[in-house]
Amino acid sequence: MDTLLIASFEILSFGAIVVLVVLGLGIIASMMGIFNFAQGEFVLLGAYFTYLVHSVGLPVPFGILAAPVAVGALGFVLEKLVVRRFYAAPIVAMLGTYALGLIIRESVRGLTGGLYLSVPEPISGSISIGSLHFATWRGVIVTITLLVMAASHALLAYTSFGLRVRASLENPSLARAAGISTSMIYSATFAFGAALAGLAGALIVPVFSLFADLGIRFLIQGFVAVMVGGVGSFAGPVAGASLIGTFSAWLPWLMSPVIADVLVFVLAIIFIKLRPQGLISGRGVNR
Amino acid sequence: MINTNRQLSRRRFLGNVALASAAIAVGPGSWVIRPDWANASEGPIRLGIATDLTGSLGFAGNTDANVARMLVKEINDSGGLLGRPIELLIEDTASDESVAVGNVRKLIQRDKVDLVIGGISSSMRNAIKDVIISRGKTLYIYPEGYEGKECTPYLFCTGPVPAQNCDQFIPWLIKNGGKRFALPGSNYVWPQTINAYARKVIESSGGEIVFEEYYPLDQIDFSSTVSRIISNKVDVVFNAIVPPGVSPFFKQLYQAGFSKNGGRLGCVYYDENFLEMNQAHEIEGLASSLDYYKVLAADDPVSARIQSAYDKQFPAKFRFSAGSAATGTYRGLKLWEAAVKEAGTIDRDAVAAALNHAKIAEGPGGPAEMAPGKRHCKMNMYIGVAKGGQYEIVARSAGLVDPKEC
Repeated sequence: MDTLLIASFEILSFGAIVVLVVLGLGIIASMMGIFNFAQGEFVLLGAYFTYLVHSVGLPVPFGILAAPVAVGALGFVLEKLVVRRFYAAPIVAMLGTYALGLIIRESVRGLTGGLYLSVPEPISGSISIGSLHFATWRGVIVTITLLVMAASHALLAYTSFGLRVRASLENPSLARAAGISTSMIYSATFAFGAALAGLAGALIVPVFSLFADLGIRFLIQGFVAVMVGGVGSFAGPVAGASLIGTFSAWLPWLMSPVIADVLVFVLAIIFIKLRPQGLISGRGVNR
Repeated sequence: MINTNRQLSRRRFLGNVALASAAIAVGPGSWVIRPDWANASEGPIRLGIATDLTGSLGFAGNTDANVARMLVKEINDSGGLLGRPIELLIEDTASDESVAVGNVRKLIQRDKVDLVIGGISSSMRNAIKDVIISRGKTLYIYPEGYEGKECTPYLFCTGPVPAQNCDQFIPWLIKNGGKRFALPGSNYVWPQTINAYARKVIESSGGEIVFEEYYPLDQIDFSSTVSRIISNKVDVVFNAIVPPGVSPFFKQLYQAGFSKNGGRLGCVYYDENFLEMNQAHEIEGLASSLDYYKVLAADDPVSARIQSAYDKQFPAKFRFSAGSAATGTYRGLKLWEAAVKEAGTIDRDAVAAALNHAKIAEGPGGPAEMAPGKRHCKMNMYIGVAKGGQYEIVARSAGLVDPKEC
């Protein structure tokens, strides 16, 4: 019973981390139709920014709040300068964003000297119930993930900005005819996705510490999650991420971790083969 | 108009190709450090450093290159070797074996170096040793602590091996932690081999192994492992998980109350660089077993001199630390210097024969000597315990420890 409680909490918290990382990736993939291979490095930048804020002596929570703004702003600039040139060719977009990611990753490696650096949790310690210990910060991550998920959904489903985003995805030329600046909407959507990645990085850096390859770990998992969940809708990638996150945290409890690691991908491939449209096949944002 | 534009761009394209191929030919990751004096009759002795200046092991490779720069400068300033100056050639192995083989081939075939020092991971050593030794007919010194079992002729290892890491360390862990061991490790050759050795020492010292388990190299969530450690009442976690997994693993162990309930963390490769991966309180009491710690400078004047000379020349972020192979590089280069002096030539067989029993009286952490016929190095070993983000030396070997290899 004790182990079951601990296991459920740990699996839930890791699932939440994966959802948080995939959210921005999923929004860019579903709402803009391009796969952003630099998404993992946006996560890394969020983490690095938080570390920077911490290293100059400012409080970590300030870093966590400022990271999404900084990474979002960078995402906006990169979209204007680079990414928008690739909308016509999604495959080239993958390579282009991969190159961006490589540049960011190696720059951070240079800046950190390739070392692993720790950032303290703003709320550290663990909540003890009897002999059981639950890490407080992981609980905070679960809560924030739920809030961010709800807020992102509300933004896309109920605001006029969300309406414009969906219109630009559905029929760009008609949207332009209706007076929507689609290029502005694309920039804003990309920046929003980048900001979510920045937030994810800022929240997870106290758990995993800062290192240049932080993003790669999540990038591959993130893509599998988007494929399993289904591209095109808001709910798809989120559902896929919960599934992949839960499985990859749960399977090591049952079997050798080396086998579990492979099995997650095998199961994902089988699932995509049987259901190519993914878990949720709809398009856009359900209200 | 259109036509001229096209011609211009083609010409520019050709120009770019020429520039790019020139860059590739010269090699953007190569450095040549020429001595500032020359020997009239013979050219300089050529020392090749092949190490990971970029990529995931860049933090260690840059340190090793810096150590070589420092020592070569010292040797050249005091008159060189056999009256000849040393020219230092540094090639980047980029933490990538396929890049490395090409760059090392440049050192061997184009630059015709007399010795190669380098390689950090075992896979790197395995990738480049054939290029250097069999096809290159050159001497090779591998400076990093590793899992042992490398017995290739002309390949000399100057970092600590499992016997040196474990023989003193495990009885200490049993005494200062307890008898019940867990052996978690990343799934590759070093953790598997060192755990196999540790298992023997643990069992012969009266300890028991509760479980031994391996994880994918990029795994960063260890909740099931931590839960097993806690529920099985493990006394000592002998960790062979490597970064990036090790930092979240230690954090999760701490949060689950492992150290609070008297558990002991042991990890042989942990040096000063890794202390930063976690907050100090999370790894308080972690014990490691290495050939050098920075705090040794407090009571060993030789270590203090080496450490301060390095810090003065390279005040940047690449630390002189045991885990980065800085000490192995230092030892390797100085042992080779002693061997060349004894042999009186740089002929490979003569130097190898002298290196077989070479000794140095001064090095980081104390003197060192090659174990004759073993091509591995005897050295002092220390046990350091992390306290408040620093190491404290709690035990030291009585004299040089035998590598027990080959």
